[in-house]
Amino acid sequence: MTIKRIITAALFIAVMAMGMSASVLDSVHYDVRLGYALGGTIPSHIGKEIRGINSYRPGFNFTVAAGATYSFNEHWALHSGLRFELGGMDADSRVKNYDIEVVRGDESLSGIFNGNVRIKSAQRRITLPIQAQYNVNKKLAVRGGFFMGWLTNRRFWGWAYDGYLREGTPVGPKIEMGSEPGDRGDFDFDANMRHMQWGLDVGADWRFTHRWGAFVELTYGFSNIFKSDFHSVMPLRPLYGTLGVSYRIK
Amino acid sequence: MSNFASLKQRINVMCDIFHGIKTLAVVASCLIMTILCSSCFGDEPDGCEADIETVTLHVNNPGDFFFQATDSMQTVFSTDSVITFAVRGDADVTALSPVLTLSAGATVSPASGSTHDFSNGPVTYTVTSQDGKWHRNYRVNIVPTMVTVTDTLRYDFEHYELETATQRYYMWHNLLPDGTLGNDWATANAGYRISMSTAAPMDYPTTPLAQGYDGAAVCLMTRDTGPFGHMANKRLAAGNMFLGTFDIRIAMSDHLHATRFGIPFTDRPDHFTGYYTYEPGPTVQDFNGNPIAGRTDSASVYAVFYRNHDADGNEVVLYGDNVLSSDLLVAVANLGYVKPTTTWTAWDVKFEYRQEVDEQLLANRGYSLSIVFSSSASGGDFIGAIGSRLCVDKVRLICTHEE
Repeated sequence: MTIKRIITAALFIAVMAMGMSASVLDSVHYDVRLGYALGGTIPSHIGKEIRGINSYRPGFNFTVAAGATYSFNEHWALHSGLRFELGGMDADSRVKNYDIEVVRGDESLSGIFNGNVRIKSAQRRITLPIQAQYNVNKKLAVRGGFFMGWLTNRRFWGWAYDGYLREGTPVGPKIEMGSEPGDRGDFDFDANMRHMQWGLDVGADWRFTHRWGAFVELTYGFSNIFKSDFHSVMPLRPLYGTLGVSYRIK
Repeated sequence: MSNFASLKQRINVMCDIFHGIKTLAVVASCLIMTILCSSCFGDEPDGCEADIETVTLHVNNPGDFFFQATDSMQTVFSTDSVITFAVRGDADVTALSPVLTLSAGATVSPASGSTHDFSNGPVTYTVTSQDGKWHRNYRVNIVPTMVTVTDTLRYDFEHYELETATQRYYMWHNLLPDGTLGNDWATANAGYRISMSTAAPMDYPTTPLAQGYDGAAVCLMTRDTGPFGHMANKRLAAGNMFLGTFDIRIAMSDHLHATRFGIPFTDRPDHFTGYYTYEPGPTVQDFNGNPIAGRTDSASVYAVFYRNHDADGNEVVLYGDNVLSSDLLVAVANLGYVKPTTTWTAWDVKFEYRQEVDEQLLANRGYSLSIVFSSSASGGDFIGAIGSRLCVDKVRLICTHEE
């Protein structure tokens, strides 16, 4: 449903742009962008239960985008478009007194975990940004606004390992977890992720030539990546920066 | 040609640029995460656990006090709240000072090392977690134990109850010669609860059977371990029951060592009798859950008698991977093939001795005995037929004595 709405909105913007008079169309520029995102999902705040990051690797986070910019005057413009983003991460952290609940089917195992937690995520996302653009000069423009995102593919999985769970409460049975599949506590929260994301989107463009430019983009999600009834993992929000090149078609 | 070359050149340049961006991005994101995280880690949270981890008794003449030198220290399971030292019958227990090790940061009252009189029964210790939010009560017993000579040990499975803390599964007690109830029988039911939190008590692998051969019996059934078990590739749990202890701590990480077979035993077992029914489940499945055509499930019914210290004097229990193969085995009584039958069938198996019994060592609790029942003999390797059902009743262990 919602993906249809995004596409409808994008088409609406495109039709609006085309439907405008020739003079208005002269004020519209189109560009394509290719970028690489860094970042992923971060906790709203890092609780003291997380004692350290053993490793963090971003995934294969390419972004392809097509955009349109409508200039009101020399300085002000409106920017929108569609982005197709691949995102992901692989984070390995050390935790103490970490509240964990693993659910599979009707069965659940919960308690307090001490040890290591590996989290992997991967998603494909279509994003519609709407940003106000201010042209500082001929070369530099800054943008700010909001984005709506729709996840077409979402994966979130991982395992608790090399540690122990106190089942139920801190005085419940102590259950050790090893590092091999079957010995560790695997979890898989794909089905608990939201499809929709929205948040703040700011960026800047630097034009080298008439057509070629570079851009940076910072995207921060206001919404938890998980559904509101899901408490197995602390709330996580998307936060990533994108670096890339742009090419102006017109 | 030149157009092609220039296009190729451009593509190469683009590739270089993207490669550069990607490398920079990876480095930058690692730096960002490190800075982000190291700057906002709070102080380490206080411990919330409240366990006694070990108890040690220091006495002047350990040889006169303990049966074995290794008896002076006990490691306490997380699920235990009663700690019992069996000491020599003439040991003086009126002024002893157990030394306790606790969860990190936890405190205990009365203090570790404080002196108490244990002759009037157990002393209760209360442990409080470092964060002050959690408490556990422990009872420490130091019991002068007479080495009794028994002709026949009887196990009738009449005394069972729901496990106190969770009320989710059954546990059994054996009737001791003095009329009190012991905790010599163990099952892996606590392990099943990890994977099947919703299972009702009668859906566990080991359950009571109200109408057995004579009064209640115990029933062992090989069960499916549900979605967690399948994810971990541990797809079934054989019903089991044994004399010994079950260590839930390593049930997930090292399951064959979670079954600790054996309790100290001061008699010389001669033969082993009882009544059983056995119905193998319809389909034997392998480790991956695939059916094995033409194979019928088999049960285990055996008893082992072994030396409970190795040549270096270390305390030993037998585990799932060596209970029938250890060099420390002294005698084994194994029913072997458990013929399927739906009517109560008697067995009588003689212990086959492999080593001489040292009378002095026997009197000093240097031997242990275990009786082991399982509804799927290969259950430890997660091979068996779901639904295989072994029921057991009226087990007797007949002992002989030196003249």
